[in-house]
Order: sequence, then C-alpha cells, then structure tokens
Amino acid sequence: MSTYVYGITRETTALPKGLAGVGEPPAGLRLVTGGGLAAVVSDCPEQLRPKRRDLLAHQKVVTELAREAPVLPLRFGSVSDDDRRVGEVLTERAERYAGQLDRLDGRVEYNVKAVHQQDAVLHLVLADDPELRALTEANRRAGGGSYDDRLRVGELVAARVKEREQWDAELLTQVLEPLAEECRPGPESSGWFVSLSFLVREAEADRLLNAVGRLGKAYTHLELRVNGPLPPYSFVDS
Amino acid sequence: MSVVPAQQTSGGGTSGLYDVLELVLDRGLVIDAFVRVSLVGIEILKIDVRVVVASVDTYLRFAEACNRLDLEAGPHRSAGLPDLVGEVTEDGARGKVKGALSGAAQTVSDAFHSVREGGEDSGRRRTASRAKKEESE
Repeated sequence: MSTYVYGITRETTALPKGLAGVGEPPAGLRLVTGGGLAAVVSDCPEQLRPKRRDLLAHQKVVTELAREAPVLPLRFGSVSDDDRRVGEVLTERAERYAGQLDRLDGRVEYNVKAVHQQDAVLHLVLADDPELRALTEANRRAGGGSYDDRLRVGELVAARVKEREQWDAELLTQVLEPLAEECRPGPESSGWFVSLSFLVREAEADRLLNAVGRLGKAYTHLELRVNGPLPPYSFVDS
Repeated sequence: MSVVPAQQTSGGGTSGLYDVLELVLDRGLVIDAFVRVSLVGIEILKIDVRVVVASVDTYLRFAEACNRLDLEAGPHRSAGLPDLVGEVTEDGARGKVKGALSGAAQTVSDAFHSVREGGEDSGRRRTASRAKKEESE
C-alpha cells in the first residue's frame, strides 16, 4: 500500500484529533517521523484522482494542522512508495524543511483576486478616450453600427480594457505588497485578471485586509476577493 | 486575462472554496522522491478562456455593451494611484475590513468541474443543471 502525504511539520506536533484523510471511506491519519520532523500521512486509496471530496480532505488536514504548528503543505496528490521512504526523505532533507518551518512560523497566506465590473470599466475606458467615445456614439446613432464598425470599436475597447487590467494589477501589487512579508503570483487561471498571494504574520493580517477593503471602496470598478488565512501553500519552496 | 467572466458573477457562496482548492492543486511543496497523481483536465479551462478573449465574439460583445452604456451617467472615476498609495500607507492599521469581496464564482466553479471530471472525460462540457447537481453532492 502506498502512502499519501499531506504536509510536513515539526516532530513535536501532535496530530489533531477527529481528522480524516482522502479516500472513501476516509483513511486514518498517522505521523511518520525523521530528522526531527514529522509528515502527516495516510494510506493512499487505489486510483486516487482530484475529486472534490479528496481535495477537501487534503485541505482540511493541512489547515487544522496549521492551526497547531507551522506546516509545509504538500501539493495535492503526493504519494510515496511507503512510510519508510517518507521517513528517509524527511531525514535526508531535514535541514531544508526545518529552515522553511522556521521561516513560516506564525505566518499565514492570503490570496487576493480581482475582476472588473464590466460596465464600470467600460465607462472608464470611454471617458479616457474621446476618439473611442465618438466612434461609439456614431455606432449608436446608426442603430448599433455595421458589423465592421462594431468589430472595430470592440477591438479597440478590448485593447483598452486589457491595458486597464494591467494598470489595476500593478495598482494592487503596489498597494498591497509592502504590507506583506512576501508576495507571489497565484496560479494562472481564468475568472480574474490578477491573483496574488501574500505571506503575512498572523498579527499583521488586518493591515492587509483593511487595505483591500479600502481599495474596493476607492475603485468601484474592481471586485476584490480575499481568501485566508490559509496554510502557506504558495510560500513553500520545493 | 479577461474581463469577460466578470459578467458571469453568480454570487455563489462556495466560490471561496474553489479559490482555495486551486491552491491545493497548483501550489504546495512538491517532493521529487514522491509521485503525484495525474491531474489531467485542469489546463483545459485555462486554454478555453484565453481563446475567447481575443475572439470576434468578444469584440462584438464589447461593442454592444458600449452601445448600451449610459454615458451621461458619468464614469466611475478613480482617485488615482498616488493618492491611494498615500492613504493606505498612512492609514494602514485603522478601519474595518470592508469592500466588494465578491467575484466570478461561476467561472471558478466551471474550472472546478473541469478538474473533477478530468479523469473521466475532460473534453465534455457540463450543463448548468448537471454541474449544480454535482455541486451539492
């Protein structure tokens, strides 16, 4: 039976009670130690795939663990041949992982994403560009404009909107980055034009959250979404 | 990168969950001595959206959205970067957490469905009702 690995913590950390692992029925958790460190592991179910239930189980285990002690969360789906190999890896790389646990002690991750409210951003784009405004007006007077006219306006607008995205991404970075110990880009994905993860001391998270709140108020064309506190997924170095 | 998905905001309460699971899938320590389970299907939606952004359909939709805009209502002018940077820096520790903390939940949930069905049939598209049904599982 192969071993599923959730995260790495210090050897002194106790396993939180009442937690269950991946699989159906959920696998029981155990600790594997080595080099002064402990890995939280369980048996790995046959044919593990990224299902909602299993992703949540992984997330829950790492989150609960992070409440107790610093933890290096592993990426979902990390599987070792057996417990013995996990212990060997901990021992071999003890220094590197212990150093990261020290660096991340008392820190949490917040992820901030932004999308544009379309009408508001179109207002901004048109307000800044009299020529584009004139073209839009002409289309409107012509009952919407010809296919080519609409395409022309639309392409120009799309380019301006993209510029605006870059501008706003820079704005968020400039305002928020100084409030965190570290800032790293979030996973590239759809649905937002910028995603940033911030590493902050737990006690200093309010500063970041307040700034996000203020940005949302000052820039009504931005919709900001914050997730955290999270285990420091984006700040572990493989 | 696109503003297009912003129109699809559905205000679903589980959006935060998808944001987090994305990190679980895409970030976190990778140990080369271990293997990782296959995550086929995750890239699919990323590609989808990038294609849509630069398409004729998008241009036409923008043009139509502009035609519908009430320009007389005035733009939502922003305060400008330097002002805000100053304000945030000086006033960093005070005030309550507030703001428009919402987002494009629908798109994210689409991404998530694509992740989940990755192993079975990653090319298949979900209908909204089927996706919804699965979500409650």
